[in-house]
Amino acid sequence: MAELIGGLLVLAGAVFHLSAGLGILRMPDAYTRMQAGTKASTLGNTLVVGGIGFLHPDWTLKLLLVIYFVLMTNPISSHALARAAHRIQVPMSRRTTVDALRQAREQSRDGT
Amino acid sequence: MIRRLAIVLVLALFGLVFASLTVHHVERHSLPPLGKRYVELVPQELGAANVITGILLTYRAFDTLGEIAVLFMVAAAVGLVLGRRERRDLPRDAPQPPRPASEIVRTGAQILVPLIAIFAAYIIANGHLSAGGGFQGGAVFASSAVLLLLAAPSRQLDQQLLSSTESTAGVLFVLVGVAGTIFASGFLDNRLLPLGQFGSLFSAGAMPVLSVLLGVKVGCELSVIIDRFRS
Amino acid sequence: MISTVVLATGLTLILIGIWGMLTHRNILRIVIGFSLAGTGTHIVMVALGYVAGGTAPIIDRSLGAAEASSRVVDPIPSALAVTAIVIGLAVTAIMLAFAIRLYEAKKTLSIDAFTESKW
Repeated sequence: MAELIGGLLVLAGAVFHLSAGLGILRMPDAYTRMQAGTKASTLGNTLVVGGIGFLHPDWTLKLLLVIYFVLMTNPISSHALARAAHRIQVPMSRRTTVDALRQAREQSRDGT
Repeated sequence: MIRRLAIVLVLALFGLVFASLTVHHVERHSLPPLGKRYVELVPQELGAANVITGILLTYRAFDTLGEIAVLFMVAAAVGLVLGRRERRDLPRDAPQPPRPASEIVRTGAQILVPLIAIFAAYIIANGHLSAGGGFQGGAVFASSAVLLLLAAPSRQLDQQLLSSTESTAGVLFVLVGVAGTIFASGFLDNRLLPLGQFGSLFSAGAMPVLSVLLGVKVGCELSVIIDRFRS
Repeated sequence: MISTVVLATGLTLILIGIWGMLTHRNILRIVIGFSLAGTGTHIVMVALGYVAGGTAPIIDRSLGAAEASSRVVDPIPSALAVTAIVIGLAVTAIMLAFAIRLYEAKKTLSIDAFTESKW
């Protein structure tokens, strides 16, 4: 029973990783690609490691530490990358209508 | 046109060679004789639980020494290539002060840098017991240095201190090896220090010492290389 | 079976890396292709050392020292792979340093800009 749950979780994690790869291929510009890659692959990681936790119950504590670590590092790194890309003005796709970071920067510069 | 044809031809030929390699590959069912000898000898003679680290730090330790030399050479070469840049030729605008990192990165770094450093120490210390070793731990330590640099971009790493630490670690490595020649039976023989109880932290003779020296050296080296890329 | 699949994956990675090196004109993509080919080579090395039904050559509670030599995979290719990964990293660092210098010399990242002969 635990093996079935574990196997299903690992499979779901693999599906999410596949969707992350698809997203990186198909998204129009750098920012959307970063978003697809980070979110889907972080969730995929968490599900795969959780599935392994069901398959090997005596590793649970270490696997929880791994999940915590992944949840801490992946979003921070993609955040830093995205801000750096916005800084050097990587072009956005033409379908983008709102640029919240630029508006926030202009507001803080004009001293609202 | 000719270029594209040549590329396709090269790839097709490589593909043919690789395909024939894959098809004729026969999976082994028993260890080759040398591997068998190593797997039997390492727990007995060296007292190390991790066979691969035992090979890397005693039986093939000369290769490890050569690899240390290669890393040192690369650090020096990166310093040479990226060193004194003639700023007169490059019309640059006024050098902007490095922007402070965003709050998320700074907060995350406060939590993560000690965690990663402890993890690196754990990997180095476990080199002879379970998967791990000097190189792996050193690389993880360098990644914590990268996080530190990302979170505080105006911080200057003390390159002088790092370079001298790295050179000292390398010299100590060779000195331990020479001491192995004098006190035990060969260069970098780890029976210099007592073998201890199999599987405990302070076992396998001089291997933990060598792992620590390796880890310190590799960590400092990679940090210096990354810092040169940054400036 | 397992080692054949891993071997095929490694060889495919080498092929992709070589294709990337030959096709792209951007220096950074050529460096990535080189790194891919290096990773593929490491995978091939480890795959060749696989023994059917073997496990990692680490002796702990689940693998006694006496039965180790009949149940582990070959440790030598793994040790060589550790060395090779570190040296691959060092070579990539040098290539990136050169890429930075080339960019500063010509202000472009395309290797088509470097057409003059050295002599």
